[in-house]
Amino acid sequence: MNALELNDVAVPGRLEKLSVAVEAGKLVGLIGPNGSGKSTMLSIAAGLLDGGGTVKWGGRRLMDLAIMERGRLAAWVPQEVQFAFGFTVRAVVGQGRFAHGDDGTGVEEALARLDLTTLADRPVNRLSGGECQRVMLARALATQPRLHFWDEPLAALDVRHGLEVLMLARELTRNGATMLMSLHDLRIAHCLDQVLMLDRGRLAGVGTPDEVLTEARLRDVFGVKMRIAPGMILELPSP
Amino acid sequence: MKEGGLQRLALPLTGLLLAMVLVASLAVGDMALSSARLWAGLTKTDEMAAIILWKIRLPRTLVAMEIGAALAASGVIMQAYFRNSLASPGLLGVSAGGSAGAVVAIGMGWAAVSFYVLPVTAIIGALVATVAVIGLAQRGASTERLLLAGVALNALLGAVTSYVLSNFTLSYERNAQIIFWLLGGLEDRTWDHVWMAMPVLICAALLWPLGRSLDLLSLGAADAQSLGVDVKTVRRRMLGLATIMTALATAVAGTVGFVGLVVPHMFRLMFGPEHKRLVPLSLIGGAAFVLICDLIGRSAGGLRLGIVTSVVGGPFFLWMLRRQV
Repeated sequence: MNALELNDVAVPGRLEKLSVAVEAGKLVGLIGPNGSGKSTMLSIAAGLLDGGGTVKWGGRRLMDLAIMERGRLAAWVPQEVQFAFGFTVRAVVGQGRFAHGDDGTGVEEALARLDLTTLADRPVNRLSGGECQRVMLARALATQPRLHFWDEPLAALDVRHGLEVLMLARELTRNGATMLMSLHDLRIAHCLDQVLMLDRGRLAGVGTPDEVLTEARLRDVFGVKMRIAPGMILELPSP
Repeated sequence: MKEGGLQRLALPLTGLLLAMVLVASLAVGDMALSSARLWAGLTKTDEMAAIILWKIRLPRTLVAMEIGAALAASGVIMQAYFRNSLASPGLLGVSAGGSAGAVVAIGMGWAAVSFYVLPVTAIIGALVATVAVIGLAQRGASTERLLLAGVALNALLGAVTSYVLSNFTLSYERNAQIIFWLLGGLEDRTWDHVWMAMPVLICAALLWPLGRSLDLLSLGAADAQSLGVDVKTVRRRMLGLATIMTALATAVAGTVGFVGLVVPHMFRLMFGPEHKRLVPLSLIGGAAFVLICDLIGRSAGGLRLGIVTSVVGGPFFLWMLRRQV
């Protein structure tokens, strides 16, 4: 069964009518230039924006799911977040358990996983952009959902934390979760199971990274010339 | 969630503060009452003390507590709604809307028809102002935009009040009533005013369980919805409660500024921003704050409440603005 299905969803002026299905346990990347509709599509998939058509999570129509149940089934990581008040990092990560009755399960583990334990009692409105991003990712992790929707989760992260988040994404999908994440860095596309390429609000390609990220398509969509060359390879050291 | 000792003590300490100022508010006045006479007055065994307490000080004290709780709670709600700690019923023009509604009722002579016309027109005025401010300053709007929206609305609604004062009322008595009322105060409050503001307690009871949702909403609507908050319902309830509470406070005590700004911010600074704690603290602390301001006014030879809260709140607001902008 598909973990996620979008049928005939569209937003006038932002996203042309499209339909896609994502299998359970897949790490799917949404790729496309600025303004191509990535965040719009992600918001529709996450049930945060009405795109008409139908959206199904695990075969169930989104409109048939109670809001609380949606909060348990999926986690959303926004592209950027502005904290108006000084909640502690721990409190914000704990909000990921709201739909689970604020039971606090897995909050400390999520903090540790995103390297936030030492910052746990610090107010979130005094963190850097990258630290805020990690707080939102930890919150998503604490929710322990089946579906993850992450909007450019790596944008503000340094190399090490970026690699750790990618490893985390792989681990989550290996354990059965399904993830839709928008990305700008094509160099990490090889980590994905599936790529959805968007161009000016329409779906320009669906498939494995090798199938979608072809020289011709990258030239058409991004206006760049692709050349595969040996270069710097960064990996996390073995523990 | 881990909770520090200070946070655990926050509610009992604030409750204790309220109890202390409540006793002071009943005991202090032109005729000071000792604890023995206070008790005798409350139990009506001392006739003079009973008259002072039951006719003058108790209604005044209870109205002060009601409006303090109402205005502080409205501030908490608006700050969470607009995601800005400078949002408050006074600065955003909601109080001015309530005032304009009430002034129209007094000026047109409707208020004389029934005691309950005033709160109803105040609620209508506050509701119009709430809708207008939402239209002018979207959620998450910058401080500048929010304050400018408030300035515009306050000016517009102030013009309505001035128009009524200058053109509608031909009666000196009504004009005096309006001006007296606009200054904001607790003089001559009766049990009727206590009952008029009593729905504040129902609003407080409805607001209390929303605390956790306010936490999540203060991060943004999409965020809150993704976590499982019924954003539309919660928002509607928030605005309804804030509007009714502000309007009731304005209807019984006139324009009393800065309570919704000062009280939530002080508690947020001292005990953190979690609304499950901030909502009850602001309700109780707001009541204590207004009682303290009223005590200061009474001790300073009868300064009106609106003047005292403005003298305390104005510099506080400027300090906050300096920190934030």
